[in-house]
Amino acid sequence: MLVQTLVIAATSSAYMMLLALGFTLIFGLMRIVNFAHGEFVMLGAYAVYVLTVPCGLNYFVAIPLAGLFAGLCGVVAERLIFRPFLGDELGAMITSLALAIILQGAVMIVFTVDQLSVPRPISGVLHFGSIYLPNDQIFVAGSSFLVVIAFHFLVHHTRLGLALRAVAQDTEIARAYGMAPSVILPLAFGIGCVLAGLAGALTVPLYAVNPFMGEAALLKAFIVVVLGGLGSLPGAMIAAVILGTTDAVISVWFSATMATLVSFVLVVIILIVKPSGLWGRA
Amino acid sequence: MRLDISGLSVRYGAVEALNDVSIAAREGCITAIIGANGAGKSTLLKAIAGLVDVSDGQISANGVALVDKPPEARHALGIALSPEGRRLFPELTVVENLMTGAIRRTDRDRVAADITAVYDLFPRLKERRASLGRNLSGGEQQMCAIGRALLSRPSLLLLDEPSLGLAPKVVGEMAHAIERVARSGVTIVLVEQNSRLALSISSDAFLLEAGRMIMSGPAKDMLADKRLQDVYLGT
Ligand SMILES: Nc1ncnc2c1ncn2[C@@H]1O[C@H](COP(=O)(O)OP(=O)(O)OP(=O)(O)O)[C@@H](O)[C@H]1O
Ligand SMILES: [Mg+2]
Repeated sequence: MLVQTLVIAATSSAYMMLLALGFTLIFGLMRIVNFAHGEFVMLGAYAVYVLTVPCGLNYFVAIPLAGLFAGLCGVVAERLIFRPFLGDELGAMITSLALAIILQGAVMIVFTVDQLSVPRPISGVLHFGSIYLPNDQIFVAGSSFLVVIAFHFLVHHTRLGLALRAVAQDTEIARAYGMAPSVILPLAFGIGCVLAGLAGALTVPLYAVNPFMGEAALLKAFIVVVLGGLGSLPGAMIAAVILGTTDAVISVWFSATMATLVSFVLVVIILIVKPSGLWGRA
Repeated sequence: MRLDISGLSVRYGAVEALNDVSIAAREGCITAIIGANGAGKSTLLKAIAGLVDVSDGQISANGVALVDKPPEARHALGIALSPEGRRLFPELTVVENLMTGAIRRTDRDRVAADITAVYDLFPRLKERRASLGRNLSGGEQQMCAIGRALLSRPSLLLLDEPSLGLAPKVVGEMAHAIERVARSGVTIVLVEQNSRLALSISSDAFLLEAGRMIMSGPAKDMLADKRLQDVYLGT
């Protein structure tokens, strides 16, 4: 039971990290509270559906393609829709809300509101003695962590990552040292959306695919990021582990409803003690 | 890099920070900009780097007009600013801050050697290399901000009060370092509260007062000027 709970906790933490890192990256650089973030998760999930079911592509090939597709949509959205609202936090927020509604509507028109499903690419369980671990969960947890590690490497060990952090911390001085927001911002938005798309793609076999799936994903990203401190990458990672573990343990031992309740109470308590979030600065 | 500024005016709303200022900086020389608090010195450097909008006038570097170029394009031409208040990236380490200076360089293999050279210039930075920008002392931040500017291998280096916050012994070393950088062919525009120090290492100097350029000439003449001594040099 303990090991199973740990695997569920790891899966849920890793999924929350994927959701929250992109959301907080976009906020950190552009001050956009992207209410359409969940819709990029949905785009990733639908991309996997289209690539695997009608097109017959292998699921494991479809995952990176779906992430890339969500990322490209993100770059286009940044250039066409968010660019005019740079520096206008409220305007950008309302725009993101509109984008969320438009993407939901577009998906409804094309795919109807029906629940879609993708054949389970992985089945079976691993068992060591009395411990049973479902393979698909291990796959989701493992690949999510790999993506998070790759993202961490990008942010901390590449020139692009250095530029992302510099622009987030002082855009004016970053510009004076040659980092052009017109290049960095769409890339950052795109990378955030790649993470969201991958979150959607990786969990397609576990969760249902429908036009409204983005709402739950957004809520998860939001609560993690608020707990970790808006705009903070390390904060998002730690908060994802805290909330993912709390959620898993309480779901397994009590109920999912109880888990959600406790998560929110936990966040409220932490925010009362530290209003800027665990890692945030006021 | 030769810098020519003519008829430059900058305003912040109703405040006229610079009014019809004309200045030239010769290639490979140190040009001092002196003046009282609020005279417009920092605004002048920001206007050159492209961080404030110019309401009138021309700025050109080696004959290339800068006024309509964004800051990143001016950086690409070889302009680097060590700004007022240092403005290090607070959540980046010292090494990372230095590397942001070199982020657009194409000769990647020489960056490590240049970082070592900055550490030789400011050994204190080497000890603090893994510390975050926001945890440095004022003097350490100053060294790091200048190091960051040097790491971009500029042709035109804009220094805003580089001696601020440094211990007297380090101020002397900083002055020598600036002279050495100029000797390597870099044009330097030096803004300083410490006018005596600035004039003693500069070739040319300009005096700003309330946004206007009221005096200019060879730095050694200004250093000897009786009126200037009374008001700005405190002797
Ligand atoms: N962002 C701003 N908004 C409004 N007014 C400003 C701004 N920055 C500077 N000023 C004003 O412009 C004038 C020139 O300021 P500037 O910072 O260029 O002076 P300075 O010569 O660098 O002074 P100091 O020696 O104190 O650094 C001052 O009157 C200042 O109050
Ligand atoms: Mg100043």
